[in-house]
Amino acid sequence: MTFLQDPEFGDRVITLMAALVLVLQIAAVGQRWLVSSIRIFAVQSFLLAAIAGIIAYFNHASHIYIAALLTLILKAGLLPWFLERLVRRIEIRREIEPLINAPLSILIAGCLTLVGYVVAQSFYHPEETSVRAALGHNTLAVAIALFLIGFFTMLNRRKALTQVLGLLSLENGLFLAAISLTYGMPLVVELGIFFDVLVAVMVLGILVFRIREAFDSMDVSKLRKLRE
Amino acid sequence: MISLLAKAGLQLVLLLLVAPLLSGIIKTLKARLQTRRGPNVLQAYRDIFKLLRKGMVIPETASWIFSATPYIVFVTAALVGLMIPMTTTDAPLSLFGGVLAVVYLLALGRFFLALGGLDTGSSFGGLGSSREMTLSAIAEPAMMLAIFTVALAASSTNLSEMAKVAVSQSWKFLAPSQMLAFAALFIVLIAETGRIPVDNPATHLELTMIHEAMILEYSGPYLALLEWGASIKQLVLMTLVVNTFFPFGLSADWTARGLGLGLIFYLTKMVLLACLIVLVETTNAKLRLFRVPELLMVSFILGALALISTFLF
Repeated sequence: MTFLQDPEFGDRVITLMAALVLVLQIAAVGQRWLVSSIRIFAVQSFLLAAIAGIIAYFNHASHIYIAALLTLILKAGLLPWFLERLVRRIEIRREIEPLINAPLSILIAGCLTLVGYVVAQSFYHPEETSVRAALGHNTLAVAIALFLIGFFTMLNRRKALTQVLGLLSLENGLFLAAISLTYGMPLVVELGIFFDVLVAVMVLGILVFRIREAFDSMDVSKLRKLRE
Repeated sequence: MISLLAKAGLQLVLLLLVAPLLSGIIKTLKARLQTRRGPNVLQAYRDIFKLLRKGMVIPETASWIFSATPYIVFVTAALVGLMIPMTTTDAPLSLFGGVLAVVYLLALGRFFLALGGLDTGSSFGGLGSSREMTLSAIAEPAMMLAIFTVALAASSTNLSEMAKVAVSQSWKFLAPSQMLAFAALFIVLIAETGRIPVDNPATHLELTMIHEAMILEYSGPYLALLEWGASIKQLVLMTLVVNTFFPFGLSADWTARGLGLGLIFYLTKMVLLACLIVLVETTNAKLRLFRVPELLMVSFILGALALISTFLF
């Protein structure tokens, strides 16, 4: 099993998984069913945890294992479960009308990925770094693309819940960038971010429920008036 | 020269025999997955032989295009089949530009099929043709992009060359560009073979049918040729996907041992791909016609990203 020690092999597996993450993100842009979007996010987070695990394995960095485990439990398990329960409770299963229609949004997502690749290329100097240190560097493009597409999703969708999903994929992009560039930020920072996201989603979840109760809709464009 | 003819003959026989079998396998697997008994695997052969022996009804309004279409569809599909490496890396035939010829010969067949649908003047046929052309306008560029990605990695558009390079680089299929291209090509495969999220192959009376609407007026031997041609086209596209992305077991030469081993590997891979298609068909509902371009757009973007990522990494 010598290839398990080979950083070249790890690099290929990571790149492949990053590509899968990207494919899932583009699929999520075209997705209208809320439950499917949530599941796509769950699978994406699972892959991210796997990427973090592989980077930890090849760099013998134990604190990344913790980050990977946290991602697995929180983002691939707890958050999707919570969001799916929310979908069941508010009984809205479909995003009816994004601001920009699906084919055009997918095209825009593709362009954003291109931007990600172009930006990441300026960080890529394969001749200056060793193979082991360069491990996962080429996932930076995917990370930036995830970040931009997450932003775009938040702008494009009207339902509060899909905006939350946009925020979460944006955060996934940040995590991937941090993991691939620096082999993980210090654990305290990671924990802080995880806790932040968790609380944000919980609060947003409750907020979505309240918005729905008060306005009979999750459409945030209806929240125009301030009440006294 | 003689050996070339022998190679071409061998592959042609294989092509003509395996194509209906594969359609039968897909039908049976699908039925089993839906807990139906389903037809026998050999049913597709029986259908073709039955249709070949039957008489024909040709509409009075039909011109020569109606009669020429089945032959053109069948011959282009078979010709394309000869240009694709099936059990060996060495395909018997290579015309101008290899894979470009493959795509555009298939497009020629589709063009005539659409004309044949229009020719009788029936409204169903016209609708089918218009839908087919609409979808292929997006599916074709997606397919080209995905194939160019693979061609770029092999720095040749000749399919035999591409297969040789693919066999020599065993880890290549892990590259992200390859995976993106595979995803794109798989969606195109589903669309081009008229499988469920796009078109329903099991229908003969549905307002949204595409392929079946075009061949609604055909009967007897013409219908047999069209169905056989369609199953060959399906086989060719599946072979293209399987042998460019998973080239394991392709033999390098035309020896009996290599061919036998290659055939076993080839059939195994095809059955596995058939399982994947059956799974997709069973777990998905048919898309509304106006949603299909969205699916094909995903495939197009995936193909474009595959091409871009080849250049950047």
